[in-house]
Amino acid sequence: MKRLEKLSTLRINPAKTLHFKYKNKNLKGLSGDTVATALYASGIRIFGRSLKYHRPRGLYSLDGESSNTCMQVNGIPNVCAETTLLADGMEVKAQNVAGSPETDLKGFMDKLDWAMPAGFYYRTLHKPARIWPIALKQVRKAAGLGKISAEFQMPGKYDEIYPKADVCVIGGGPAGMSAALAAAENGLRVILLETRPWLGGFFDYRTAQNGAGLSLSQSVRQAAEQLEQNSNVRIFTQTPVVGVYNNNLVTAFQKGCETDYFDERYLEIRATSVVVATGCSERPLLFENNERPGVMQIGCAHRLAQTYGLLPGKQAVFSIGHDLGLEAALDLFDLGLEVLCVADIREDGQDPALIEGLQQRNIPFLRGWVATRAHGNKTLHKVTLATIPGTLRKDFSCDLLVASAGMTPLTGPLSLAQAKLAFEPYTGFFIPRQLPAKIQVAGRLLGLNHPATIEASGRLAGTLAAGDCGVSVESRLKEAREKLNQLPGPDQGSKLVTAPVQGRKTFICFDEDTTVKNVKQALAKGFDATELIKRFTAAGTGPGQGGIPGHNLPLFVAQYHGDIKATAMPTTVRAPLVPTYIATYAGSNHDMCKRTPVHDSQKAAGGVIRRIGVWKRARYFSKDFSCRAEIENVRKNVGLLDASTLGKFRLWGPDALNALQRVYASDMSRITNGKVKYSAMCNDDACIIDDGVVVKRAENDYYFTTSTARAGATVEWIRYHTRYDGWNFHMVNLTDAFGVINMAGPNARKVLAKVTDADVSDDAFPYAAYREFMIKDTIPVRSMRLGFVGELSFELHVPSSYMQALWDLLTEAGKEFGIRHFGLEAQNVLRMEKAHLIIGSESEQRTTLHDVGLGFLWSRDKSEEKTVGAVALRQTENQEARLKLVGFKMEDPSRVPKDGSIIVDNRIRGYVCIARHSFALQEPVGLALVDAPLAGEGTRLQIYEDECNGQHLYATVVPTPFYDPEGKRIRM
Amino acid sequence: MALTLTCPVCGKRNGYEFRYGGEEKGPRPDEAGITPRSWCEYVHMNQCVAGIQKEWWCHKDGCGVWFTTHRDTTCNLEVDKPEAQS
Ligand SMILES: [Zn+2]
Repeated sequence: MKRLEKLSTLRINPAKTLHFKYKNKNLKGLSGDTVATALYASGIRIFGRSLKYHRPRGLYSLDGESSNTCMQVNGIPNVCAETTLLADGMEVKAQNVAGSPETDLKGFMDKLDWAMPAGFYYRTLHKPARIWPIALKQVRKAAGLGKISAEFQMPGKYDEIYPKADVCVIGGGPAGMSAALAAAENGLRVILLETRPWLGGFFDYRTAQNGAGLSLSQSVRQAAEQLEQNSNVRIFTQTPVVGVYNNNLVTAFQKGCETDYFDERYLEIRATSVVVATGCSERPLLFENNERPGVMQIGCAHRLAQTYGLLPGKQAVFSIGHDLGLEAALDLFDLGLEVLCVADIREDGQDPALIEGLQQRNIPFLRGWVATRAHGNKTLHKVTLATIPGTLRKDFSCDLLVASAGMTPLTGPLSLAQAKLAFEPYTGFFIPRQLPAKIQVAGRLLGLNHPATIEASGRLAGTLAAGDCGVSVESRLKEAREKLNQLPGPDQGSKLVTAPVQGRKTFICFDEDTTVKNVKQALAKGFDATELIKRFTAAGTGPGQGGIPGHNLPLFVAQYHGDIKATAMPTTVRAPLVPTYIATYAGSNHDMCKRTPVHDSQKAAGGVIRRIGVWKRARYFSKDFSCRAEIENVRKNVGLLDASTLGKFRLWGPDALNALQRVYASDMSRITNGKVKYSAMCNDDACIIDDGVVVKRAENDYYFTTSTARAGATVEWIRYHTRYDGWNFHMVNLTDAFGVINMAGPNARKVLAKVTDADVSDDAFPYAAYREFMIKDTIPVRSMRLGFVGELSFELHVPSSYMQALWDLLTEAGKEFGIRHFGLEAQNVLRMEKAHLIIGSESEQRTTLHDVGLGFLWSRDKSEEKTVGAVALRQTENQEARLKLVGFKMEDPSRVPKDGSIIVDNRIRGYVCIARHSFALQEPVGLALVDAPLAGEGTRLQIYEDECNGQHLYATVVPTPFYDPEGKRIRM
Repeated sequence: MALTLTCPVCGKRNGYEFRYGGEEKGPRPDEAGITPRSWCEYVHMNQCVAGIQKEWWCHKDGCGVWFTTHRDTTCNLEVDKPEAQS
């Protein structure tokens, strides 16, 4: 199609051609085109087929009000072609067609509407029951528009931002712009959200004069430039609002343009005050075949020409109910469209200047007439007009019908904000009657139509919003109110709901193929409330989110009941207001994790790194995931484990001991200098949540460790359980400040002695002792003799900055003693052989300290300390029917059950916490939580493994620890 | 999602930064004379007020303080001057 290239209102760049693919053809569009306008320019009139009846659908609107132009773009299904800007190289496909949109093999469905009355899938297909599975399969096949494959990977970059503003203005039309400017002039920070790629709203494409010598388009573009210069205003275009919540939280998503680093991003805006200036869309005209390609709304036809340079047809009929329709008819006539007739639903109330314009151009004008039928098999070729009662008729051959019943206020954000809307008979709008705190409204959605009134109402709303933010605005408010009062008020709206037709092919909702007849069927079945009819007929539940039926459905239902004023109620609106990618909500998906100070050298040494909780850790140091070499080397020589992820804390102050007594099960007053105390923390149900060691470094000054998983919650836990006491103590989380190396194995002392002058002999530094000394006279270490892996071992805590140096020193010094790294899996097997537990592996949420055999840690003599868990520890001490931790060996030593396998007899009796082949014992062993009656030594356990096909495994309960039960090796 | 809370140290902040710590129930009871039932009442039972309730929050992603505030559970908003409203 040839474009009108000289118009001053254009938003396309005729000099910049973009190429795209549709139906295996290479087509061209222009920079600034949407996918829909580029297709229209290429002569495409049928964009897809409808959901149920496979009716041809075309360009009806330009803001995504219906699913008519939902297409697959670059592999992404259900993309709204109307609101997606064309990009070079795009691949566009039609949806819900068998064949092509023009020759859809399922087109016969349109004739079967008699078989699919309203709610047919609720009412039929379930009797007899056996047909339901068959019917379900067919319905599933037919349901939905776009298709997606299981392998589909969402392309693109997504992000999220959380801006704050004094005033958030929703809608960048003339009212919103005026509101933003008024608020900004009061020194406030303003965020302005606009769905289209530019500001200006319904002024942007209009050549009508504003009364001051400029066209509306010129004046609003000047105002936009002024606003863009204002540093108080942050403008987001291509940013539809998806939600409004209490506390004035506004969510939106922004489509990126070529120069943006994102494809879409999620916005969560906190504003003190919100101005809703969303304006209007058009209320669809209801007549037979009202969605036939060739029928479109006023704004669609007008903007195709003025914004995109596309004359929407050759010969046109207008059937409208608003002055914008008359203005469009004149404008399009002047651009070369042959206008055969303009029918106006309204008997009177038109702007006389517009009527005069029609007369000057010899355009026939019919008052009180309306389109009753669109003719044409696939696209429009004839229109029947009739008087409102349907007594007189006229036919016109044409290829374009501009049809619109009137205006519809876009109240979505207001409804979400819990504003109370009520039907207002003069405008025919749902108007806010009660606004929530700090929410203002401006512009067309109040029924205003005069350009100056719209701008003045914007100024008033912006000034009110400034008042919400605490600015003193009294004089400005008075001024703004006076100005508004001098200007024309709301226009009378058109009242017509349906043309005089039966309504079998009169579509009230395009997305769900809901006809007027369907709504009548629902009413006949006794569904009297709009909300119920919406569900029964599915009207308004499609991708257009009620954009087409939102206004007509409640009006139609109210008219049926005979009392519009009393019964017209809009249906409930829910977020998201427009369809949004889930990918946009997911955001950037950046994996936030921590690395230990020796991450890189472990990786270089062949460490297989895994994400475990918030950390990246070395799990294995060989391709042999049994870790045999790592394990045996710890037992025979010496190994190095990076244990930096342990929680590490300093707790000090006059009440430090009180705090420890409150959270640890043991009597912490018995900690002695130079010794480590092992204890555990429980919750108030006596369930074990953490274990670790505590040392006393000075009077009222303690250093303690927690399990890796508890590190993040420990300070919060201790503060919570001491919150009433007013104790004087402090805590610092040193987890990231200190690294930890566990050097374990019979040669560990020899390695350590090489790098320190301190006496590390067993006499000077025995098992369970705590020492501080220097390594190489430089590195201060806090060292503990512990035995988690069951060998002589030194846990060395050093400032993180020294970790690498110490790691390298020990690796070098240990060479002659056969030192090597070992990872988490090796540690897991080693500690399992000692039956040392890991919280979360050998315990779950219901596991008490008693259940895992650590009841001895609990001091029953400190009830005045009000220890967390103590009451329940007493109450559960002799409780029966609990899961108890036991060790087991397998009857068939060639099989190791998987972790998590369940223990059964005729019901589930427990589960395997961990089981591994023990190289030290040369057979598999494991730990399990089992019902107390099964916990006795020698009990036979039946293990059910996933996919075992009924072949159970058998194990026997044995005493623990499995390895070195006397604990000689840790005391070497 | 829309909730904001006023930390006594950091001021009004996004609700995402806080952890809920339960209704205000008073200090831990003495252990003497406690029965399983009365202990369960203290630990697990709540008033679940539909309206304004006093409750604990931790500014976990901020200063770490535990504090009490009043929140209207029917609209999930912090209440500025609870004394004036209750
Ligand atoms: Zn804080």
